[in-house]
Amino acid sequence: MKKKTNLTPYLYIIPGLVMVLGLVYIPVIVNLVYSFFHLSSYSSSMKFVAFDNYRRLFTSDTFPIMIRNNVYYCIISLIVQVGFGTLLALFLESRLASERFKTICRNIYFIPSLISLTAVGLMFNFIYNPQLGMLNTLLKNIGLAGMQQTWLGDKNLAIFCIIAMSQWQFTGYITLLMVVAFQNVPHDYVEAAIIDGAGPVRRALSIILPLAKEQLLVCTIITVIGAFKLFTEVYSTTVGGPGNSSQVLGLFLYQNAFLHDDMGMAAATGVLIFVITVTASIFQLKVSRSGEV
Amino acid sequence: MSTEKYILRARILKVLLHIFLLFLVALILFPVCWLVLNSLKTNQEMFLDSMAMPKKWMFENYITAWNKGLVSYFVNSIIVGALSIGIILALSSMLAYGLTRFHLPGSGFIFILVLGGMALSEQVALVPLYKILQAAKLYNTRAALVLPYVAFRIPFTMFLMRSYFISIPRELEEAAIVDGCKSWQRFTKIILPISKPVLASCAIVNLNHVWNEFLFANVFLENKKLMTIPLGLMTFQGDLKSDYVVMLAGILICSLPMVILFLCMSRQFVRGLTSGAVKG
Amino acid sequence: MKKNLKRTLSIGLAAIIALSLAACGGSSPDAPAGGGSGNEAKAEAGGKDVKVIKLFHRFPDDPCNAFIEKKIAEYEASHPDIKFEVTSAQNQPYKEKIKVVVGSDECPDIFFSFCGEFSERFIREGLLMDLTPYLEADPDWKASLMETQMNEYTTADGMVYGIPFRLDAKEFFYNADMFNELGLEAPETWDDFIKVLDAIQASGIVPIAEGNQDKWPGAHYLGALNEQCVPDDVRAKDYDPKTGEFTDPGYVQAFEYYQQLVPYMNMGVNGMTHDMARLGFTNGQNAILFAELVEITNIKQENPDMNWGMFKFPTIPGAKGNPDLVSGAPEGFAVSSKTAYPDECVEFLKWFLGAETGAQQAVEVGWFNASLGVDEGLTDPSLISAYDVIANAKKMDIWFDNALYSTVCDEYLTQISDITNGDVTPADAMAKIQKVAAEAQNLAQ
Repeated sequence: MKKKTNLTPYLYIIPGLVMVLGLVYIPVIVNLVYSFFHLSSYSSSMKFVAFDNYRRLFTSDTFPIMIRNNVYYCIISLIVQVGFGTLLALFLESRLASERFKTICRNIYFIPSLISLTAVGLMFNFIYNPQLGMLNTLLKNIGLAGMQQTWLGDKNLAIFCIIAMSQWQFTGYITLLMVVAFQNVPHDYVEAAIIDGAGPVRRALSIILPLAKEQLLVCTIITVIGAFKLFTEVYSTTVGGPGNSSQVLGLFLYQNAFLHDDMGMAAATGVLIFVITVTASIFQLKVSRSGEV
Repeated sequence: MSTEKYILRARILKVLLHIFLLFLVALILFPVCWLVLNSLKTNQEMFLDSMAMPKKWMFENYITAWNKGLVSYFVNSIIVGALSIGIILALSSMLAYGLTRFHLPGSGFIFILVLGGMALSEQVALVPLYKILQAAKLYNTRAALVLPYVAFRIPFTMFLMRSYFISIPRELEEAAIVDGCKSWQRFTKIILPISKPVLASCAIVNLNHVWNEFLFANVFLENKKLMTIPLGLMTFQGDLKSDYVVMLAGILICSLPMVILFLCMSRQFVRGLTSGAVKG
Repeated sequence: MKKNLKRTLSIGLAAIIALSLAACGGSSPDAPAGGGSGNEAKAEAGGKDVKVIKLFHRFPDDPCNAFIEKKIAEYEASHPDIKFEVTSAQNQPYKEKIKVVVGSDECPDIFFSFCGEFSERFIREGLLMDLTPYLEADPDWKASLMETQMNEYTTADGMVYGIPFRLDAKEFFYNADMFNELGLEAPETWDDFIKVLDAIQASGIVPIAEGNQDKWPGAHYLGALNEQCVPDDVRAKDYDPKTGEFTDPGYVQAFEYYQQLVPYMNMGVNGMTHDMARLGFTNGQNAILFAELVEITNIKQENPDMNWGMFKFPTIPGAKGNPDLVSGAPEGFAVSSKTAYPDECVEFLKWFLGAETGAQQAVEVGWFNASLGVDEGLTDPSLISAYDVIANAKKMDIWFDNALYSTVCDEYLTQISDITNGDVTPADAMAKIQKVAAEAQNLAQ
């Protein structure tokens, strides 16, 4: 009788767990196995090549470029989305503006993250277009024609243009998540601090932020993981160009798998992404010493 | 004196803050307005001066875009979205319930295991998933999207729900236990109704993800009749000929539903995420 | 009570899963979408078995898409036992998608396939059907197809694997009014070409419209320059992934000639797509455009009043390559080796890519297939001159980006893009290409 009782709870857990194990964990493990083979999508032959895929990945000319681009994306996103986004959330929770105004601003900031990545990519293709794009036309109209750029067509600018686009899209998302966390901070704490004479900066630093630490951690992890699985943003704008200058790991994986039919190489790239994201997540958890999350 | 100074300083700060927030609003909205403007021109006009007002307002661009197959992309996105959200919510809430209410041995491990799925990115699983789906004869069906979407969204959804469920006071259930309610009834009659805000938030977060997902849809679908909106938008970009203004119209049409949905539900959305409603 | 609960729970679960699977499976294309219409067709055909032929092409834009749909509907009407399931994708996604499906059970029976390495890698895996026996069995059919074009769809061993749907070549288009105004004539040699470009630039007009964001347009320049700078046999050896080295000095030379052109191009070449750059030409901002014959349709759409002409890629005197080649390739359809209906597929292609359909296609879409005589009904002088370019070609040289193994091609495109921006020297660019070509030798084995 008792044993039977103990089984019930598992019925709640099993379906979800099976999905996650079957369609997330197993493919990731299979991917690890694939990374040691040469394999193609249209021939069934699999040839064991040990670390050859990894050798080709690490020695390819594109490798340092990809890592650099992903790291740029990661760092800038952390500064702008998480850093500035949190600051913005503090502003939006401060008592300096009316509730209504703040809500409207917050909602407008959130809107870009509701637009699909491909739509934003196609949009910014136009905005950055050297001939008819918004940026160059704007510069011309305000008399700064000398500052016109090729934007996505410039080797040194392309990846930053893509990064800027992502900041436009996702800063408001992080801001909203942080606003939510700040609203969770119990009011009495803040009131108590005000009675103690703490100014807004001190309140933010010593009460609000520490209490929203977990949310901040979640946002950081989401951002870092997002930075290393970057794909659609690049695919819908430069497809890695000009040259290889805006190539990133996610796109490299995709192109190897479905354009060059080099599934083994794609799998090796996948393993690299896996190692980076998991290490980064564990590292952040350790740093925050928050065992709970 | 000092209070006057303080008030003055506060007022200046207030003005500066308003200007700053409005500047950001402009930064977000300006590109969108530019797009709307150009979506109402002809290709030639846009090419010659993208800042100018259209000579004739080309509302038919929107009709052309809609007729270019957007209808079917919309239908597909709605079907895939609804199926995915339904299954994600059902499985995640059960999982979160199972993990928070029974003190199972190993539930901590299972929690970490499922949550770990959050750190695994779609790309890593892409190649094997593609092979698995092909072997299971699911390639190029809607299931090829729904199943991976569900699997990849469970971790985050479970995480959100778990923290909400933990905040629900036990007393609510204890009364029901006394009444002889079994766990399934407690789950459906007490927990789920009280969790509506978090369910709504999870639904929006996941819907947004599923609605906009591109990578899986691009790899696992080939049939134009099954394509979702993000894929459909990419087909607007021709190789030798792109109809730019129509593409812009298409982008705007496709982006509207989620924006409207959010603006209508933003209050509930934020409330669900704050879970303040039940925090006792 | 416990049992009850568990039962409800498992029933509920089973229901969810069954429902989701049913919903997913039910909406799969095999079931209602294709199957539904298949059933109707079955009824029409009076119980006879309906053969469903899957066709995958890369022409989703009108007018071509509409033309294909119309023709297929006609064919279905006259062949009640055959039903088509047509899918299409844009060029770039198509190249990715076809590689995904071609080896699977989902493989379409008839599909678009570029000639050259693109198809030959499928042939190495035995995925394409050999059409040679069908052509041998029907000498009339064989004789009705343009030989220069069919050669491109024939392997070195003599296997024919595709039938052209549209013929294409790359030419320089020029704004005739501008040329007249400046007293310029279409150049024939490289030096004349540079002089013309200088004259246009001196008049304050940016001479060449070019957009290389998608990377293939630049490859077409390099393809044409390689033809002239590198001997045919060397190129043939290098374009074969198993023997490709790219060590001939002609390749560097070709890059250097391309570099000469870059200063004459519009701003932001790498930041613009080809079709957007074409708007610069059709809007009268640029004088010259290196474009495909199939784009005539677009040029006329964008500016019907424009007075334009064409000239061949200028010859480079003294270069070691072959100046007679016409850069361009037929693009056509191949049949899967796995198809259940090989005869039906060939029968359809005979008609669909034949003279009668071809003549209508030439008028309605402005594209020609490889059947002789499709130009007879043409009245449009620009289309007639376009047809002559191909009809008079002694030998075609297929698109550079289709001739190369995919990784080598990728590297080549990357280098062209960098050269355009001035970020790399020709010698360095070739060194990088050589490295990838060496790697490809292993992969292609």
